[in-house]
Amino acid sequence: MRLRRARRRTGGTGDEGVLPLINVVFLLLVFFMVAGRLTSADPFDIRPTRSTLEGPAPEDEPIVQVAADGRMALDGQPMQADALVDAVAARIAEGGVPKLRIKADAGTDTLALVALLTRLRAAGAAEARLMVEPGAE
Amino acid sequence: MRRPDITPLEAGMRLGPRRRPRASIGLTPLIDVVFILLIFFMLASSFLDWRTLRLDAAAAGGGGGMEGALLVGVSSDGLRLGARPATAEEVSARVTDLLAERPALRILLRPAPGTPLQATVDALDLLGGLGAKDVALAAPGGA
Repeated sequence: MRLRRARRRTGGTGDEGVLPLINVVFLLLVFFMVAGRLTSADPFDIRPTRSTLEGPAPEDEPIVQVAADGRMALDGQPMQADALVDAVAARIAEGGVPKLRIKADAGTDTLALVALLTRLRAAGAAEARLMVEPGAE
Repeated sequence: MRRPDITPLEAGMRLGPRRRPRASIGLTPLIDVVFILLIFFMLASSFLDWRTLRLDAAAAGGGGGMEGALLVGVSSDGLRLGARPATAEEVSARVTDLLAERPALRILLRPAPGTPLQATVDALDLLGGLGAKDVALAAPGGA
């Protein structure tokens, strides 16, 4: 008798057994929505550079991505160095902010990066900030 | 007599027999959508805590910024003070001494060809941790 009642109670649609699952999934969903930051994916693999210096968090400036082998992208669009410098100059000429974020792979050749920085500076980007991840390597 | 395995809540819910058909509407599609949203947010969100460092590249060949600056070389196999190799401790001691005399000391960090960015940033960390405010990267040909 007791068995039959229990089966009838959950047997209708099976919904009661799923409710705790939905609760957990909702909680996970809310957690990921609140805690995660939606970011556009990089066009190539970039290992973050680590630094122990506590700089400010990045803002929404245009981002220049540099891979370890020298490939570059502006806001996720892969392009050659010349085109990239031209694009940055054009944006700043149109009234864009003269600031850049640089996201470079930890293995990038520093001199190549400095050369790019110098060209970007000449193109009008007054301030360039390197994106790093806190913590010692 | 009340059965011990039925809680008052369940008993109360069963008081309204007409609620059952309404409660079962569309729970499965709801779960589907929530699962898809969950997977989307799990894949799309990133938990990296990015920080930013100011990168100053000294003007190439300008020379003006070089006056009285301490030149620290960095390469993939260590630091250099001027022209000779130095350990991190030697560089720390030298920079600490000079900073005590001149707090506004300008330091030029000159990376050797092929230096990975991580080595340069480690050197920036070292100098920044000693209190150096004015650290610039020497551009190629600038020194």
